[in-house]
Amino acid sequence: MLLVKYLLGDLSEDEQVRVEDRAFADADYRRALDAAEADLIDAYVRGELLPVERRAFERRFLISPQRRKKVAFARDLAIVAAEAKAAESETFIRLSAWQTLVRFVRGWNPALQFAAGLAALIVVAGASLLAFQYAGMRSRVAVLETQRHNLETRTEELQRQLGEEQARAGNLAAEVRQQQTAGVTPPQSLIASLLLLPGLSRSESRREQLVLNPSTQIAHIEIQLEPRDDYPRFRAELRTIGGDEVLIRGNLPRRAATSGYTVSVDVPASALAMGQYELALKGILNDQSLQDIGYYYFSVQKQ
Amino acid sequence: MRSEKWSLTQEAFNGLLASLAPDRDVAARRYLEVRKNLVRLFEWRGCSTPEEYADEAINRCAKKIGEGEQIRDVATYCIGIARMLLLEMSRERPKEARSLDQAPEPHTLPTEPGTDPERGVECLRRCLTELSPENRDLILNYYQGDKGEKIKNRKGLTELFGIPANTLRMRALRLREKLQLCAENCIRQPETMPS
Repeated sequence: MLLVKYLLGDLSEDEQVRVEDRAFADADYRRALDAAEADLIDAYVRGELLPVERRAFERRFLISPQRRKKVAFARDLAIVAAEAKAAESETFIRLSAWQTLVRFVRGWNPALQFAAGLAALIVVAGASLLAFQYAGMRSRVAVLETQRHNLETRTEELQRQLGEEQARAGNLAAEVRQQQTAGVTPPQSLIASLLLLPGLSRSESRREQLVLNPSTQIAHIEIQLEPRDDYPRFRAELRTIGGDEVLIRGNLPRRAATSGYTVSVDVPASALAMGQYELALKGILNDQSLQDIGYYYFSVQKQ
Repeated sequence: MRSEKWSLTQEAFNGLLASLAPDRDVAARRYLEVRKNLVRLFEWRGCSTPEEYADEAINRCAKKIGEGEQIRDVATYCIGIARMLLLEMSRERPKEARSLDQAPEPHTLPTEPGTDPERGVECLRRCLTELSPENRDLILNYYQGDKGEKIKNRKGLTELFGIPANTLRMRALRLREKLQLCAENCIRQPETMPS
């Protein structure tokens, strides 16, 4: 408004000087003054000024050839702009956003058009890459979903099998209990074992027991040796406590065990009756002479 | 103003240029800039012959320099002389002109003698075709319509181009000046007039 007043000569001398000094010092301000002048001229040619403004305008603008040219140009511009508007109204041209964009881009210089084209290409390429990655991710998700489904199915199958096995185990336990209740005896071992240790087993006061079931076929007697019983071969003599010879085994080797060396001898169960027994263990020297190692005592029990 | 009979001599002009800058080319550019500003000033103040008054201000400055006066800032000194001329002009004007309220109101723009009013419009249409479609749309829409419609158009343009209103205003002004220059050149060249 200040600039319009200046242009119409409606400011004091001091105010005019301030506007002019600022215009000479500040190019932007000077351009703003030029723009205000253009708008004022347009307002005049369109008859938009108040009477007092119009008189002031004519006094200032229509007396110099330069400004009269500006006013004439503004009049021509108003005519051409009105024609353009009328043409738009007659043909009902409504530019779409795309057409506006194309026309807008065509107005750019070639370098800017190239840059815009390159940017558009990058955007399209980026969008394509994203779409491709999205499709790949969807495919991977589908695979993972299938794997998860398979795992769930497998888990359900295992749980079903576990349930069946538990049910079967329960049935078997029930059968065992039923058999025990019905007096059915479990299968008996065919071999009865007896371990004779040095010391106690060699005395008559402490006798080991060998229990023979009806199904027992062999009595496996194992004798623990002491470190000093270092003989190449051994001989075992089994007798009843009354002195009747039951069995003699010679040329027996010793075998390494966890706790030292042992000598074992297998006796047919049929040769053993219930009662007390004495087992004499002897070492066989290289000259085939015999050395007494010890006498072991045990009893046989039959079920 | 016309009482001053002194005219610019080559020696005085050389002195003026030397005061503007040691280099003659630089001094010439500054001389043109000083003169342009003086023309602007007289035009703003509503002087009927801004260029004559601008030359008069420069002549008086050159005369002072020729008389041996040391002037540190020729541009500012010339503006000072111009304001003195404006005071002289304002004293003379009441003697020459009638009261503004008593003056007849011109309802139509006085045309320059020997010019065809239609020629300007034809030249402007031709010059518009030389603009890019974007610039053509911009200037036609910017200066289209009456007060309210014009404001609406300009707001739409700022949104369309995504620029502030002041930037749009300066862009439209540059296009307007370019178009005016084109149209004036077209008017001066009747042989190139479009049919």
